[in-house]
Amino acid sequence: MRVQRLATRNRLGALLMLVTGAGVATAGWSYHVGTLKAMGAGFMPVILGVFLCLIGFALLVTDRGVDQTNKSHAASVDMRGALCILLGVGAFVILGGLLGLVPASFASVFLSALGDRKNTVRDALYLAIAATLVGVCIFHYGLHLQLPLFSRG
Amino acid sequence: MHQSTIDLWYGFSIALQPGNLIWAVVGVLIGNLVGVLPGMGALSTISMLLPLTYPLAPVPAILMLAGVFYGSMYGGAIGAILLNLPSHPPHAVTCLDGYPLTKMGRGGAALGITMMSSFFAASVGIIVMVFLSPALVRVATRFGPAEISSIMLMGLVAGATMSRGSPLKGLAMTVFGLICGTVGTDTTSGVIRLAFGMTDLSDGIELGALCMGLFGVADFIVSVNRLNTSSVRPKVTMKDMRPTGAEIKKSILPMFRGTLIGTLFGALPGTGPTITSFLAYALERRISRNPERFGKGELAGVASPEAASHSKTQMDFIPTMSLGIPGDAIMALLLGALIIKGIQPGPQLISDHPDVFWGLIASFWVGNILLVFLNIPMIGIWVRMLRVPYRFLFPLATFFICIGVYCARNSLFDVGEVAAFGVIGALLLIFDFPVAPIVLGYVLGPLLEENFRRALLLSNGSFLVFVEHPICAVFVSFSVLIAGVQIFSFIRRPPRQKADVSLPTPRFPLR
Repeated sequence: MRVQRLATRNRLGALLMLVTGAGVATAGWSYHVGTLKAMGAGFMPVILGVFLCLIGFALLVTDRGVDQTNKSHAASVDMRGALCILLGVGAFVILGGLLGLVPASFASVFLSALGDRKNTVRDALYLAIAATLVGVCIFHYGLHLQLPLFSRG
Repeated sequence: MHQSTIDLWYGFSIALQPGNLIWAVVGVLIGNLVGVLPGMGALSTISMLLPLTYPLAPVPAILMLAGVFYGSMYGGAIGAILLNLPSHPPHAVTCLDGYPLTKMGRGGAALGITMMSSFFAASVGIIVMVFLSPALVRVATRFGPAEISSIMLMGLVAGATMSRGSPLKGLAMTVFGLICGTVGTDTTSGVIRLAFGMTDLSDGIELGALCMGLFGVADFIVSVNRLNTSSVRPKVTMKDMRPTGAEIKKSILPMFRGTLIGTLFGALPGTGPTITSFLAYALERRISRNPERFGKGELAGVASPEAASHSKTQMDFIPTMSLGIPGDAIMALLLGALIIKGIQPGPQLISDHPDVFWGLIASFWVGNILLVFLNIPMIGIWVRMLRVPYRFLFPLATFFICIGVYCARNSLFDVGEVAAFGVIGALLLIFDFPVAPIVLGYVLGPLLEENFRRALLLSNGSFLVFVEHPICAVFVSFSVLIAGVQIFSFIRRPPRQKADVSLPTPRFPLR
């Protein structure tokens, strides 16, 4: 059962390489490829894309149904944690542009802290307030970061 | 040789002037601090401090900025070993064995060994720089694009095989890194490639965003709520920093080998400290009698790459200062600072501005001695950072990563790239791909493409150029040899038994 799952994972990884390689090679083809003597912009992407495809194919063929790296800690990812961390980074991007440094800092720490199941809302709140204060002191007053503390769009 | 000694003496008289010394100290202090902070790199710090140096004279300005750079190298090793966060790409490889050592309770000793090898390697690098600088410069000027491409090829092949597990997967990631390097405006034709219509990508992917996404955010994503937090809070005191006699004995030879690699590769323009530290690690693993212990807390895997990157860091200044060819983005920034000061980089710099060149070299020594003495008593502060439980640490690190990446170019788009590479990195980790070779491919990609193009243009499209030039032939045959040995051992290896799969193994993200 376990071996089977690993095999599926290996094959999915190989397919991912195949698809990525094919995509890059196709995109490269749309630029000017050129010749060996005078390479165009598309030359490298096409070569690299094809090469990645070949590796993906080789991975599929040589897949022996066992995990070559003999470990698999990343086999399952906690969805809540992953989502919260990505939301935290995303909040920094969106709020940084819309509202300024303070809301962006607060939201990024608060949201990503909620990703850990052991953190309560109150923990996250305190952590976010502390991080925002320290961040503002270091980056706004200390290093004169060009992001305003508060802004409106 | 005699002349070099006199010049060095003159350099010390420049570096020890109070006005210069104080700025060098400020530089290494700031560098050390930002090196420890996850998500803050030398690159963003130097960019931020650049405006501060405008009122300064050229010598203190360059001493301070260079101090930030090598100070962050020391600090970066601390972050890599104790926090598993490489804030500067060369330390990615230090995480591989440094962090398992921390989990085994030998993080302090690993730091002690790192300090020892860093200082030794930096000193060797400085000595070589002083005495062989003119000769090395003459050799380096003879390298054509074909030679540079073949050296890079070897670096890439070695980097791909360095990764744990399947060499094919390592190779796939190296190629993926090269593809990441092609994103953005093509320098020759001006065509914007693989940008998905986003104008922000026309400058290419930001190095800091790539590293922090792959090594920071991706790691948080796969380890949140999965990590046994008790294992990441080691106790390191000043006493623990003293490695045992056996540990020192074990690290001496790797330290020498690492220094040698760093010094050899240091003279070649275009090979950054990342490649050298990866190569040093690969070499240690190859020649080790028990290579399976690498990645699980082997001191040689810390001593050698750290020594390599430190001697390389010093050597990097040779092409930068004497040829005006920067090895990486940081060197380019330092050159930029010199140009702002009205100093034209190039072969005439040493003779036209001896105070800048020799003062800088002497200040390396002063700064390195300072860093060793600074880091031993301050280790308590770095360790206190570790007492913070993981559930508090990763939100804070996420925040520092966001703001640090934003600092580098004042671009929120770059922070978005962090999120994108966080997702990509997490996916790759789930599929058991090693993510470290991506950075190597990314850094080398544009340089390789440029030199490869030029080499084939000069040879009229004939590949024979890579075999006919003796230097090329050596490097190309080494690459073929490394790849051949890998493929051979892969084909010969029998399929592993099921029992092997279920072995409990330590967790660490960089594979």
